[in-house]
Amino acid sequence: MATSMARPARRGPRRMPVLSAALCGVLALAGHARAQAPALPGFIHDGTLTVCTNPTLPPMTFVNGMDVNAVAGIDMDIAHTLAAYWHVPLVITTMEFTGLFPSLAAQRCSMVASGLIRLPAREQNFDAVAYQDTALVIVARAGTKPLASMADLSGRTVAVQAGTSYSARLARENEALAARGRPPIIIQQYPTEDQVVQQVLIGRVFAFASQDVELYYRQEQLHGRVGVILVPPYPEYGHFALYIRKDAHDRALLEQAVATLEQDGRIAAIQKKWAIAPDPARALSQPAPLFRWGVFFAALTSAAFARGAFITLTVAVLSHLTAIMISIPMALALNGRNAMLGLVLKGYVSVFRGAPTLLQLLFIWNALPQFLPIFREGWFTPFLATWISLSINESAYQVEINRAALAAVDRGQELAGDALGLSRRQVYRHVIFPQALRIALPPTMNAFISLLKTTSLASVISLPELLAVTQMEVARTFEFTEYYAAALVYYLGMVFFLLFVQKRIERRFAWADRHRARANEF
Amino acid sequence: MNSDLPATPDPDAMISVRHLYKLYKDFVALDRISFDVRRGERIVVLGPSGSGKSTLIRCFNRIEPHDGGILSIDGRIIDEQTELTQLRATVGLVFQNYNLFPHLSVLDNCTLAPRLVRKTPRAQARDMAMRFLTQVNIAEQAHKYPIQLSGGQQQRVAIARALCMQPRIMLFDEPTAALDPEAISGVVKIVNDLSAQGITTLCVTHEMGFARHIADWILFMDRGRILEISRPAQFFTHPATRRARDFLDQMISC
Repeated sequence: MATSMARPARRGPRRMPVLSAALCGVLALAGHARAQAPALPGFIHDGTLTVCTNPTLPPMTFVNGMDVNAVAGIDMDIAHTLAAYWHVPLVITTMEFTGLFPSLAAQRCSMVASGLIRLPAREQNFDAVAYQDTALVIVARAGTKPLASMADLSGRTVAVQAGTSYSARLARENEALAARGRPPIIIQQYPTEDQVVQQVLIGRVFAFASQDVELYYRQEQLHGRVGVILVPPYPEYGHFALYIRKDAHDRALLEQAVATLEQDGRIAAIQKKWAIAPDPARALSQPAPLFRWGVFFAALTSAAFARGAFITLTVAVLSHLTAIMISIPMALALNGRNAMLGLVLKGYVSVFRGAPTLLQLLFIWNALPQFLPIFREGWFTPFLATWISLSINESAYQVEINRAALAAVDRGQELAGDALGLSRRQVYRHVIFPQALRIALPPTMNAFISLLKTTSLASVISLPELLAVTQMEVARTFEFTEYYAAALVYYLGMVFFLLFVQKRIERRFAWADRHRARANEF
Repeated sequence: MNSDLPATPDPDAMISVRHLYKLYKDFVALDRISFDVRRGERIVVLGPSGSGKSTLIRCFNRIEPHDGGILSIDGRIIDEQTELTQLRATVGLVFQNYNLFPHLSVLDNCTLAPRLVRKTPRAQARDMAMRFLTQVNIAEQAHKYPIQLSGGQQQRVAIARALCMQPRIMLFDEPTAALDPEAISGVVKIVNDLSAQGITTLCVTHEMGFARHIADWILFMDRGRILEISRPAQFFTHPATRRARDFLDQMISC
């Protein structure tokens, strides 16, 4: 399979500015590791350790602060320590949780470190090395009576993060319940851990499944509003693990590395730093007011949000411009006489209008590298992948707008251009396009506004656009309302600005309107 | 009539047509048409709807390419090899519904083709456009958009636009349709002016009064054939064919 192919010897661009931090780590820890250089595992390509993570699971991996590129947590400290151990630079790539394993398979990462539990099912396809003990806990609102067993959740709603193993585990409980003729546990899946917790806080679901370490970390944010009601005796939820592609030799080297770090106390130091233990003093601090204006304005004026909005706007503008450029010749061909070409284009339009945009994004990012190894390289960034897939997707819509606009220009206009001796190019450039543009402008602006919001889907392939930034901030702070409100303000601001631009452009089409044309007289 | 003409086109004629033939699928639009037009002549093409009048004049600037026969404009044979830009600079066409460019001002409508095709500098193109707009008596509307003008005004702009390419032949497709009598007399004056300047004109029309006023020759067509070529005085009083007589009776009765 393609996944076993070696990565070409070209180094991709750095995706995260952690390289320097990793190098600092190397220098600081040089004393420890000077004794002997350990053998490098095969998953370290080009001398770089690339770690993929979904930074929404504190304290394992999360964005701790306003800079979305500064991923922190136990996993990240472990990654830094491993990089220092092997004397290699570290690159951290953030992405949606569901993209982690596909990216590992597509050789986009050396390793996945993302608060993942060591599970036999996962070990069928990947190798896992444990580094941290943990336990699965069932958490409900404070004051809920503790449960005796998982069977007591029968008929209740439980929220879990999508892509985690919790839903499969609960499904097995449901089989047992069904065998005894009892109603099943109703499972709701949410894309991020913070949304899972939020469902319990607002009282929509009865409980959520999580890991004890996360709960310890959340104590301060949750203000004692939730509590553990059950620690089910699942032996398989005992460890967090690092995942690599299957390779017995690499696994042995990674196990050896982790064992060394455990022995010399470096892992213990990380555990101490993140204080993963119950602490009633932190849990019972004062609860926060409903809406904190300070947080809202801080988010609104933060560099992270501005940068997210900039990425959103840039990828939308580039994608739409590309779509328009592709779709103009397509529209001309569709209106033309070549039946074969017309059929091919109709097929193109049907496929890309028919398939969900999200699916197209995931396909280009995760499936394409399986067939074409060139798309595994560093130059193929999430930004580029988003640009490509949204351009193709949007061109399928834009071609219909263009085709209708061109068809709406009176045929006599072309004849008049011909009769004056204009060339075909000149007829299109000076006679037909200016008139078609006016007809196409309002639906095109509509499509662009829609596209601007569609860019939020790119968070699944780790593009740090506005919504991805918002989610990372919420995961860190649990301040849903404030961050959502800030994102809303940004989106509305961008759309209103675009509508203003549209009005300005439409003013240039005074010739189409008798009244406005008169107002323009001079 | 046609039988009097030599088999080869007359190189001295402005337009010389021999056995011109055009098909739309299996419908014969033009059927072996032959005639000559001399420099500066004013020709009016008459005939019932669907007789091929518009098709005929559109062959002269190759908006409608002919399928057979010989067409010679100003001594040059017109066929697939002909450089269309040059032909269309020689033969101007004013469409029945004018087809002005709605996104351009009157002045820009007139300067577009000279600037693009003849590469005339902007200022010079403007001067020329203003001269022709003055000739057709519409210079004061130069900065308006077509949508702001009446039908008659739009037609005069269309004429000025065609004149800006300084053609030697002007084709008018139904120039009097949808015009009031006053506007029609304006068109008569313009056509006479053009003729005086040596520009050959061909008009397709249904307006008998207009035809009688301006024509040097009446060319009567039916079902893609020329039935009669006569002086207007003769055509309107003693038409040679029965078909022309019926046509005139119908036109007068309605």
